[in-house]
Amino acid sequence: MTQPNLPVDVLERAVLALPQDELSDARSVALQRFKQRGFPTLSDEDWKYSDLSNVIDISRRSLEAAVAGRPADRAWIRGLLASIDAAWLVIANGELLEDLSTALEEDDIEVSGLQPDTGARDLDDPLSDLNLALLREGVSLCIAADRMAARPVGLLIVDSANGAHAASQVRVDIRLEPQAAARFVEYHASSGDGEHYSNTFINFVAGAGSRAEYLRFQDRALHHSQTARLNLHLDRDSSIRHCGIDLGGGFVRNDLKIDLRGPGAAASFDGLYVAAEGQHVDNHTRVDHRVGPTRSEQEYRGVLSGRSRAVWNGKAIVHKGADGTDARQANHNLLLSERAEIDAKPELEIYADEVKCAHGTTVGELDEQALFYLRSRGIGLARARRILTRAFAATVVDKAPVEELHESISHAVEQKLRAFDSGARP
Amino acid sequence: MLEIKNLSASIGDTQILDDLSLTVKAGEVHAIMGPNGSGKSTLAQVIAGHEDYRVTAGSIDYRGHDLLALDPEERAREGIFLGFQYPVEIPGVNNAYLLKAAVNAKRVHHGLAEIDAFEFLQAAREKMALLGMDPKFLNRGVNEGFSGGEKKRNEILQMAMLEPDLAILDETDSGLDIDALKAVAKGVNAARSPDRAIVLVTHYQRLLDYVEPDFVHVLSGGRIARSGDKSLALELEAKGYEWVREAANA
Repeated sequence: MTQPNLPVDVLERAVLALPQDELSDARSVALQRFKQRGFPTLSDEDWKYSDLSNVIDISRRSLEAAVAGRPADRAWIRGLLASIDAAWLVIANGELLEDLSTALEEDDIEVSGLQPDTGARDLDDPLSDLNLALLREGVSLCIAADRMAARPVGLLIVDSANGAHAASQVRVDIRLEPQAAARFVEYHASSGDGEHYSNTFINFVAGAGSRAEYLRFQDRALHHSQTARLNLHLDRDSSIRHCGIDLGGGFVRNDLKIDLRGPGAAASFDGLYVAAEGQHVDNHTRVDHRVGPTRSEQEYRGVLSGRSRAVWNGKAIVHKGADGTDARQANHNLLLSERAEIDAKPELEIYADEVKCAHGTTVGELDEQALFYLRSRGIGLARARRILTRAFAATVVDKAPVEELHESISHAVEQKLRAFDSGARP
Repeated sequence: MLEIKNLSASIGDTQILDDLSLTVKAGEVHAIMGPNGSGKSTLAQVIAGHEDYRVTAGSIDYRGHDLLALDPEERAREGIFLGFQYPVEIPGVNNAYLLKAAVNAKRVHHGLAEIDAFEFLQAAREKMALLGMDPKFLNRGVNEGFSGGEKKRNEILQMAMLEPDLAILDETDSGLDIDALKAVAKGVNAARSPDRAIVLVTHYQRLLDYVEPDFVHVLSGGRIARSGDKSLALELEAKGYEWVREAANA
C-alpha cells in the first residue's frame, strides 16, 4: 500500500516562510530529520493500525494553499473557557491568543516563548520533528520551586476550520520545579466544516518531589484529525496522576510517554475513549522504569459503537537495575456493536530482577450476569444496558484527576452515550 | 400463590429439573434442600427468569398468571424477589441508586408515584439498622468489594425494601459466620407475613435453626424426592443426603 507524502519542496517553502527568529535553527534541524524519515507508515510497528494518509493529505493541501491563519471564533472560545474555572493559555489555530490567556496574569505561573535549546529536546518521533519544523510559536510554562498553583492551569487547544484545509502545530513545554504542585487541564476542541489536522507536542518535566494532576479532555469535531503527544519526565519522588478522555475527533492518535528517571517517582495514567460510527481512536502509552523503586499504573477503558475502531497499546519497559519497580496496566473494552473493532496490546519488557508487573486486557459485551441481576430487581432491559454502559465509563471518570471537573466530564460522557441508546442495534 | 407443575428445564444439553411439582401458598415458608447439583439453584433461577435455562416441559402459575411468559423485570415488578447465591458486583453503580431504581420500577408498574428521596433514605436506614449494616454501604458500588456476609445482607436489604410477595433466597446462608447468619435470619423473620411466601434454598440445616420453615422439601436428581415438616431437615442432618438418594432409588 502506498501512502501519500508531503512533497519536500512544499515543506521547505513553508518552513522558509516562517519568521526568522531564535527558533529558526531548531526548525531547520527538525526539518532535515523529518525529511530523512518522513511520516510513519503502516509498516512501522507503532503505527500498524493507524493510517496517516488523510492527515498527510490535509497537511499537504494546507501548506500548498499557504493561507494565513483564519481569525479564531472568539465567542465560541469564550464559551468553552467559561465552562471550566482555570488559569488559561489559549492556543487557537496554532497561535497563542494573549488577550484570552488569563494564565499570563497569574502569579504562580511563569509563561514565556519556547526556548530553542529545550525546544529541540526529546524529539524522538517524526511527528514531533514535523511539529517543530512548522512551528510558528511555542509556549513554555513553569511553576517555580515550592509553589502550589491554586487554580488548575488550562491549555485550551482549539481550531476553527472553515472551508479551506488547515493544519496546526502546537508545542508547549511545562516545567514543575522541585517540590512544586500544580494541576493541568488540556482541552482540545474544534469547529467548522473544513478539514483539519492538529498536531500537538507537550514536553513535561516534573522536578524532584513535585506533584501534578493532569486531565486531557478531547472533544473535537467528528471529521477532524489529531495527533497529540505528551512526554513526561519524572525526577526523584515526583508523582503525577494523568487521565485522557477522548470523545470527539474522526482520526485520533495519542502518545503518552513516561520516563520514570528518579527513584520514588510514580505515575498513574488512565484513559477513557468513547467512539461512535466512523471514529478511530488510538492510544499508545509507553512507560520507562529507568531506576527503582518506581511505580506506574494505568487503566484505559473504551466504549465502542457502530463502525468505530480503537487501538490501545501499552508498553512498560523495566530497565536493567530498576529493582523495586511496580508496573500495572489494564485495558477494558465494551463493544456495543458487532462492527466495532479494538486492537489491544499490552507489552512488558523486563530487564530487572525484583519487579512486580501485572497486565490484563478484556474485550466484550455487557456482563450478562449483571444484566440479569438488574432485571431481577425490576429494571427493564434497555435501562439495565444504559446503567451498565455508564457504570463501565464512570469507573474511569470517578477516579480522574482535577476532581472539580468530574461533573462536567460525566455530563459530556453522558451526552455522547445518549446517542448510543437510541442508536440501531448491530 | 405459586404452582409449579411437572417442570423440566435444561441448560445447554443438560437436563437439570425433571418433572418437578411444588405448590407454595401465601404466608408459608418453604425450605428446599438437597445435595450439590440436585437442581436447587436452577429452580430458583427459572422462577426468576434467567434466560440461560430452557423450560422443556411443565408450567409455573403465579397468582393466576403464566409466569414463564414474563420477562425477569416483569416478574420482579409483580412481586417476585430472588436473593442471589452469588450477588453480582457492579462497580460504578451506586448501591442507593440501584435500590431506589428497583423500588421505583415496581411502584411505577403499580401506578404509584416514585418514592420521595427523604422517605427512601429513612426506610433504607431503618432496614440497614435491623440488618446491622453501616449506612455507608448505600454510597458504595453495588456489592463492590463487599465481603461474603455483606453481600448477603445487601440481598436481604433489597428484599426488605422491595417488599416482595414471593421471596426466593438462594443459599443466602452459605459462607456466613454466625453473626451474619443471625442478621440474615432476623431479616427473613421480619419479612414473614400472612401475605408473603418465602422459599429458602439451602444446603445445610443451619439456617433453619433460626428461621423455622412450614415445609421442607428435598431435591434429588431434579425432582422433589421427599417432603415433610421441619423434622425432615433434622432427619436429613442426621442421616445425610445419601439416605434420600437411596430412598428415592429404592
